[in-house]
Amino acid sequence: MSTLTKITTVESKLFLRDTTSAVMTFALPIGLMIVFGSIGLGENDPETGITKAFLPVMALALSAALLALSILPTVLATYREKGILRRLSTTPVHPGNVLAAQVLVNLAALVAAAVMVVLLGGAAFDLGTPSNVAGFLVAFVLTATALFGVGLLVAALAPTGKAATSIGMLLFFPSMFFAGVWTPGDLMPSWGRPIREVSPLGAGMEALQDAWNGGWPDGTNLLALVVVTVVAGGVAARVFRWE
Amino acid sequence: MPIIDVTNLHKAYGSTVAVDDVSFAVEEGEIFGILGPNGAGKTTTVECIEGLRRPDGGSVSVLGLDPVRDRADIRKVLGAQLQESELPEKITVAEALDLYASFYASPANPAELLADLGLTEKAGTRFEKLSGGQKQRLSIALALVGNPRVAVLDELTTGLDPQARRDTWQLIEQVRARGVTIILVTHFMDEAERLCDRLALIDGGRVAAIDSPAGLIARVASEQTLRFRPSSPLDETVLTALPDVTRVARDGGHYVVTGTGNLPYTVITTLAAHDVVAAELRMDQASLEDAFVALTGRSFEHQAAA
Repeated sequence: MSTLTKITTVESKLFLRDTTSAVMTFALPIGLMIVFGSIGLGENDPETGITKAFLPVMALALSAALLALSILPTVLATYREKGILRRLSTTPVHPGNVLAAQVLVNLAALVAAAVMVVLLGGAAFDLGTPSNVAGFLVAFVLTATALFGVGLLVAALAPTGKAATSIGMLLFFPSMFFAGVWTPGDLMPSWGRPIREVSPLGAGMEALQDAWNGGWPDGTNLLALVVVTVVAGGVAARVFRWE
Repeated sequence: MPIIDVTNLHKAYGSTVAVDDVSFAVEEGEIFGILGPNGAGKTTTVECIEGLRRPDGGSVSVLGLDPVRDRADIRKVLGAQLQESELPEKITVAEALDLYASFYASPANPAELLADLGLTEKAGTRFEKLSGGQKQRLSIALALVGNPRVAVLDELTTGLDPQARRDTWQLIEQVRARGVTIILVTHFMDEAERLCDRLALIDGGRVAAIDSPAGLIARVASEQTLRFRPSSPLDETVLTALPDVTRVARDGGHYVVTGTGNLPYTVITTLAAHDVVAAELRMDQASLEDAFVALTGRSFEHQAAA
């Protein structure tokens, strides 16, 4: 077994043993689907501009944001704070392997959450499935890379695990607002809409909804996601410290 | 030929000089101690040996390798137990050891190592549930799992209870018996005296002396210390006037008399002549701590508290 595979195996066990991460990843999207699906949010509403794609995409996006902005940076900053990365750097294995393993584990959790949301949406709430599968995959991958890029930047900058959690939460709530989680579709005030188009969570959700409804994601949304991925990931790589 | 050679090592963090000028050589198979008060530069010195820090001056050679240039090779032959280095809370003892074993080409058998370290029963226990002593033993196990030729153990027994400390000492002797060369960083005198074949006394980023514990003590052994509480008020001058006495100090109700020659006899007969009985009399042979004080000119405890 290669070193990365071995570390990833151990890190996935640790991920599953942590109640918070398991709940955030799996219970939260299921809960959202059930609660809001039952009150009929999952129907097209021409008056508010909310489509049936909104509910599954929101559940998926919240899962992605929690994994990327909270769980990943908290774990990595804690590893650094506790000297776990430093201890690794005295072995023949570079601590970069742990970073890669963490990203892989969180990505896998996100994919699992996405599959669950799509299956649940299609089977239980008649929300259908993404009509433009290729477009949906592109939007999904870019949303994930943008959010994980921001998460790695938080991990790079936060001095402690607790600081990482706080910074992650500080980013999470405005992200939800500008993504239109509370004010979906046309309910979003007009001044907030330009931000929704380019903020990682907002752009990601718009792109995912477009693809779910059969269209192609908007170029502005995709470009914004690419820019966030490159900038956040690039800065994170430059400033990340192992100790 | 020494297995580790440190020559004129110098390392500063900004304007703070952590290691000023440190040189020593470690022979294969010995337990070499680096002893000094907190902030003396001990940890920085071993971090340069481990390749975790780049020296500003001087040279370090471990098994003929340069820890900075040949960092990848050093990591295969040197096991390090770092100060205050933890593991993920929910990883089990066996998982951690298996994982670290997988990093090396020919690792030790994790199960045997667990048995040697008395952790077999704890194999399935998560790191967060281990006691301080068990965490420390696991930390040692991780430093040894790659079958290193050199093990660097930094402040091994800090925070352990007395029993756990003695168990750990025994363990270190077992490790050495397997042919591993050990560098032991400590600020505990008793630990250094008990375990080390030779040790370097470090103070203020410099080496004050290098010798065996017995050799260091012998350097100051001409001095003896007598401590007692006089039964009635005492005029110090009757003691300081004695040719054998070099120093008289007061410590609360006690006197501490330092001197050479037949100190106990001279002091007690003089006291008797002045109708003073020496109560709670204690005589101290020179210890490693005395050697430190004599060789650096300062009090170890005071430094440690600073």
